[in-house]
Amino acid sequence: MTDTPLSPLGDDDALAAEYVLGVLDLPDRIEIEARIKSDTAFAARVSAWEGRLSGLNDAFDDAPVPNLLPQIEARLFPTPARPKRLWMGWLSGAMAALVIIGAAYLVLQPASPPGVVVAELGTASGGLSYEARYTGRQLQITRVAGTAPGTAQDHQLWLIAPGASPVSLGLLREGTLSVDYPRPPAGWVLAISVEPAGGSPTGAPTGPVILTAEISA
Amino acid sequence: MDDPVTQMLLGVAARDRAAFRQIYSAASAKLMGVLLRILGNRAEAEDALQEVFTRVWLRADRYDPTKGAAMTWLVAIARNHAIDRLRARKPEQSEDGEAELVVDRAPRAETRLIAAGEARRVTHCFATLEPDRAEAVRGAYLDGLSYQDLADRYAVPINTMRTWLRRSLAKLKECLDQ
Repeated sequence: MTDTPLSPLGDDDALAAEYVLGVLDLPDRIEIEARIKSDTAFAARVSAWEGRLSGLNDAFDDAPVPNLLPQIEARLFPTPARPKRLWMGWLSGAMAALVIIGAAYLVLQPASPPGVVVAELGTASGGLSYEARYTGRQLQITRVAGTAPGTAQDHQLWLIAPGASPVSLGLLREGTLSVDYPRPPAGWVLAISVEPAGGSPTGAPTGPVILTAEISA
Repeated sequence: MDDPVTQMLLGVAARDRAAFRQIYSAASAKLMGVLLRILGNRAEAEDALQEVFTRVWLRADRYDPTKGAAMTWLVAIARNHAIDRLRARKPEQSEDGEAELVVDRAPRAETRLIAAGEARRVTHCFATLEPDRAEAVRGAYLDGLSYQDLADRYAVPINTMRTWLRRSLAKLKECLDQ
């Protein structure tokens, strides 16, 4: 190799490379994951690095894996309703240390036409309130009262099927969160937790659950 | 576009549940390999695999086939989730045992880089780096080593490791983009 001076990576390119490589610590990764969602030029740098380093993927051996499809599909796709309050077990177990602040209430209109309000998650005082609509193809969640947490935090929406772990539906920021999703059946729960900016780093709620609403028939 | 996994992923983006089952059959063993290697724990890897496929369903519409192969996109989701979990662990958990695993695995990574397509290019370009620096980049990518882990392993200050790695990445970019 010749010793010609190397053109160094620009700051953004270096950051994108470090993110893809995985060497950064968690706060930096969370910051970058938030940026990927809002900054398309930066997101393109990240996917370019994913492509460059993808030749290393051959070094990952296949590993035997049990059929986890039933659990995954149970998380994602509604099955005939079994309104057993299994999610309460989850809340009192994994979330024992967390404080449920708001007494949530739910207004459900059976057989609602697309685009109507199907659920409201709010505190008893009405200080913070989210409205969930179902359009026939999407769940759409909008904040109708109160304010978002500061820049260091986000509200994250979770869907909890009976007996299953919470599944993140996304972050609730300004405007409306739209998620392609079948209509969740009775007995399922919508929950909102407070998470570090960019959302839970672990894939499960890590901050206090501030609002919940069980979907009833 | 001939790639069957790409076709399956486009099907998933179109909310086709049969395609979702197919992509699970086609990709779960590979993604389990990724999760198991980085997390080093089967129970956690199985839990992570469920989360990864949940994300695949929810994010499939963001996949752009002009930007890369579907398998690259899938592996990126699995790696990112595994590394986030790793970084969220308490520091003492990552001290025990993991360094040994890495040492055991590093030589295998070398031999597993088979000469085919992109892997051949990567092998060629890694060979332009000094061996220990190439190994540091591989250790980060394949085993989820952090800057701190690498600095400890090579007994250099973290800033030195950062400089090494950024220079190595610049060199790799120049070679891989040719």
